[in-house]
Amino acid sequence: MLLHPEVLAILLVNTLFFLFALIAFVLSVRIVLFYNADESTSLQYKLQKEGYLASTIIKFIFILKIPLFLFFVFTLDSLSNLITGAMCAAGVVDATVYGNYLFVLKILNLYLFAFWLMLHYRESKREVPRYTKEKYIFFLLLFILFMIEVAVEFLMFDAIELDKMVDCCGTLYSSTSASYISTLFHINTPLLLGLFYANGVLLLLFYRLKNRYFFALASALFFVSALLSLIAFFGTYIYELPTHHCPFCFLQKEYYYVGYLLYALLFTSTFYGVASTFTDEKRGMQYSLLYALIYMFIVSAYVLSYYFKTGVWL
Amino acid sequence: MIELKNLSKSYAISKEQTSEALRGIDLKIEEGELVILKGPSGSGKSTILSLIAALSKPTSGDVLVDGKNISKLSDDFAALYRGKNIGFVFQKYNLLANLSVAQNITLPLIPLNPPLHELEAELESVMQMFHIEHKKDVMVSKLSGGEQQRVAIARACINDPKIILADEPTANLDKTLSLHFIEILKELKALNKTIIVATHDPLFFGLDFVDREIEIADGALV
Repeated sequence: MLLHPEVLAILLVNTLFFLFALIAFVLSVRIVLFYNADESTSLQYKLQKEGYLASTIIKFIFILKIPLFLFFVFTLDSLSNLITGAMCAAGVVDATVYGNYLFVLKILNLYLFAFWLMLHYRESKREVPRYTKEKYIFFLLLFILFMIEVAVEFLMFDAIELDKMVDCCGTLYSSTSASYISTLFHINTPLLLGLFYANGVLLLLFYRLKNRYFFALASALFFVSALLSLIAFFGTYIYELPTHHCPFCFLQKEYYYVGYLLYALLFTSTFYGVASTFTDEKRGMQYSLLYALIYMFIVSAYVLSYYFKTGVWL
Repeated sequence: MIELKNLSKSYAISKEQTSEALRGIDLKIEEGELVILKGPSGSGKSTILSLIAALSKPTSGDVLVDGKNISKLSDDFAALYRGKNIGFVFQKYNLLANLSVAQNITLPLIPLNPPLHELEAELESVMQMFHIEHKKDVMVSKLSGGEQQRVAIARACINDPKIILADEPTANLDKTLSLHFIEILKELKALNKTIIVATHDPLFFGLDFVDREIEIADGALV
């Protein structure tokens, strides 16, 4: 599978990322070991310049990681045409033991990179940066996670066997599935929806109260409740099929790629929401709330439009 | 007010070679002082000015202005510091040829986004001070050397800076215009500005209103 054009493109970009991240890693190690803001030696000024280079590299990686993540999902989806039994990206993710871990790791790393950049931005707004060392220690951890991601990605694509039968999403995301996912479908739907909409109200409430810590907490909970309700309930209205719960199929053309929009709104809203813990600027909470409300509006609209069209609930 | 502490600056010439422009400079300049930095070309005068203006960072050492270490400032704050505290007259004036006199002079205030009436008032004030109000809408490329210099000084003064730095300000002027610039310096000194002029023009030496003449040679104070 490694020589598939799209996989090859991902692996090549990963190699570039690795080389650049390695430079940033070496510079970060030097900063962590030797930086002292109180000294004015030539080494300190040199480290300051190296810090600019390292942060530019990290920004470059993050900015490319976002479209690359979308391309990764797109690639998984396109690979499903080649793998026996797979109907969408879900089958490809489940085709190897690495798929699910890789997916979680990629999302986690995207968030961590975004948080690093936010910390960096906050630091650059200080007259004299105070947390330079801490910022680069954070990057060292991030580098390790990123390298694991690159390695797991390689292993995953290498382990995919075209002639091995895999489960399709209909099997993986069903109440009769043997996996932990099936427990999700036994949660009471009104309870799940109640949690989802109550979370939306909480976001609004904490925004009005300007309590950024509670807002961040509500935002993290909103992410979980939105994801669960999307798989268990709202997805069925997108597919107009009560038994289909796949979190990947709506990334496909048949559903107007709406999944990309929904996930982008959800991830961005959560990022700004959780990031508001670190900053007293109101703008982050505003963005978070706005994206969450748009998300709620779109998924609710699917349910209501289905009801108005057919006169029944799924 | 301005304190240079063990200040060094070197420039890379090639991978192996560096040129030391400044070597362990220690210097204090008080508020309201007019100081002439003199020395031959390449002695490090301009480098000192660019470090005080936070246009570049030292290789080692500190530049303290009002007790604040400006050599450690991040880029955004260095720009803010320059906008509030520094007026810089460059050797070649660094005016934008395609802009008018008024547009050139008001450039330093644009990032601060002041109300239009304030901008106009400041512009009128500095143009009158340096006698160029009659050229307000003329493109700077159409001005004589002396007029261009006055525009450059007006631009350096429009943000009412505490510190005025002039790098070889009379290098492109004849004697009459150079003497006129010296008169302008006198006026600025009367306004209690801290002024540092880097020059090797003998016209600046031995002036009675100059507080100090500091000689630099080979990157070190003589």
